[in-house]
Amino acid sequence: MDIENLSETLQLERLEVNLFRGITADNSPGRIFGGQVIAQSLLAAYETVDSRLCHSLHCYFIRPGDPTVPIIFDVDRSRDGGSFTTRRVVAIQHGQQIFNLAASFMEEQDGFEHQAPMPATKRWDELPDEAEAQREAMSRMKDMPEQAKRWMSRPRPIEMRSQDARSYFQGGVAADPESQVWFRSRDPIGDDQHMHQVILAYASDMNLLSTAMRPHKVHWQTPGFQSASLDHAMWFHKPVNFNNWHLYAQDSPSASGGRGFIRGSIFAEDGTLVASVAQEGLMRMKTQKA
Amino acid sequence: MDTQTLAETLQLERLEVNLFRGATPDEEGRGRIYGGQVIAQSLLAAYETVETRLCHSLHCYFIRPGDPKIPIIFDVDRSRDGGSFTTRRVVAIQHGQQIFNLAASFQVEEAGLEHQSEMPATEPWETVEDDNARRLRLLPPERSESLTWIDRSHPIEMRTVGGRLDTVKAMAREPMQQLWFRARDAIGADPHMHQVILAYASDMSLLGTALRPHALDFDRKELQAASLDHTMWFHRPTDFNEWHLYHQVSPSASGGRGFNLGYVYRGSDGALVATCAQEGLMRMRKPK
Repeated sequence: MDIENLSETLQLERLEVNLFRGITADNSPGRIFGGQVIAQSLLAAYETVDSRLCHSLHCYFIRPGDPTVPIIFDVDRSRDGGSFTTRRVVAIQHGQQIFNLAASFMEEQDGFEHQAPMPATKRWDELPDEAEAQREAMSRMKDMPEQAKRWMSRPRPIEMRSQDARSYFQGGVAADPESQVWFRSRDPIGDDQHMHQVILAYASDMNLLSTAMRPHKVHWQTPGFQSASLDHAMWFHKPVNFNNWHLYAQDSPSASGGRGFIRGSIFAEDGTLVASVAQEGLMRMKTQKA
Repeated sequence: MDTQTLAETLQLERLEVNLFRGATPDEEGRGRIYGGQVIAQSLLAAYETVETRLCHSLHCYFIRPGDPKIPIIFDVDRSRDGGSFTTRRVVAIQHGQQIFNLAASFQVEEAGLEHQSEMPATEPWETVEDDNARRLRLLPPERSESLTWIDRSHPIEMRTVGGRLDTVKAMAREPMQQLWFRARDAIGADPHMHQVILAYASDMSLLGTALRPHALDFDRKELQAASLDHTMWFHRPTDFNEWHLYHQVSPSASGGRGFNLGYVYRGSDGALVATCAQEGLMRMRKPK
């Protein structure tokens, strides 16, 4: 993953007023990381919106993305209203929809305030760097395929520090469907609030599904186990500076019918709730397929 | 709406393969369309283009207020018919403009890994007073206009634990509320229709959760409150003629918006049948 600077890699080329083209960084093992398509779709929508800030987005992953060809983003200007702007985006490859997003934008304003408290947890500076922790864990895992090791140890645009071992390294122990991770952008993002949202959207697709797997002693390398993001929703409650560390607190209220459902809350270090996330993912053993 | 069941009222006319038309029931005194009706009809429109598979999630935006005096057109985009999943998008149109959009996904039923959060302990439905009975009993006569509306037969029975906000003393409360609800009319055996009616009901009261810490209810004239989006995940099939607990929490309010989560549990066995998420506009109108 030769991502020198994520903001640059995500940039789109404008083909027409409402039509954009993006590329995939030279990296992926056969498919495109979902967070990339979310981020680029949000960017495409932003290219058609003046000054207003995104307060929510809703996405579906429809088909696997092909990293070897560009992605076309087609924006529908649903409404330019007095207070709100609404957009829909379809991402297209090989003549087929691979993804859709709907999003809403509004002017910043004041109003009623309340928020859920940040859970008590270890701070990021009390935790080991994830890359280091993974290298150490992998050195103890003799049966891990080389390809998976290379994928796990690639340079990443998002720094992460986990409260406890992630599902891959749990060693077959069932755990509660909860997870807490600190994360931030590795590269400085600059002053543009839009771009902080875009990079946070990119990062928010990470780690969620494994939270739903924790009670079931499975992970994304379990033989015969199939997992993929199905949808993704985000609500931006407050402006965010993603150059700083944020706590991503996740829990999974349900798994059923081959699907896991996960909620995430993203807190700034001072405890401000800046965003909420919800995602449903496919999680099934291939033999279970009818 | 007195003679027709809700399921009948929501039914659509097929204009073309992917194009449908629905009507709004005649509800005197209401200048706009109830959001849950548009969610339910959009889901029905999507279902008209899907064979047998069950909806497991839907995501909606309310874009413009609906006009109850004219029909709504539902335009379905067949995004994908895949091996396991079917994806659809629906746009609801009136006066040549988008008033609402929905995206939804459908799946062949399968078995798999199971877990769920536990149903919270609460007062049972048997001892909670019906919301409308309580409003008729407690609301002052000067609110007779809304009382006329309350006095009608409603398709969803609701019993709010501790009483609806408009029937209790205005004060700051926790951003949490619980209510029992179910469909009044028999829905029948079709699991699709149980989802449609649950979707209809799920837009009720959710927005009120975020108002609770701020000592507000919907009857404050300066308050501008409206659903902005709506999301549902159907975890397990259910019979919505049974009582369900709608457990609601609001993790955030900021920037003129309130964010709410709702968990729908089946009262008889505590099964988590659906999760809802909704952001709503909640701001005080500036004095003119």
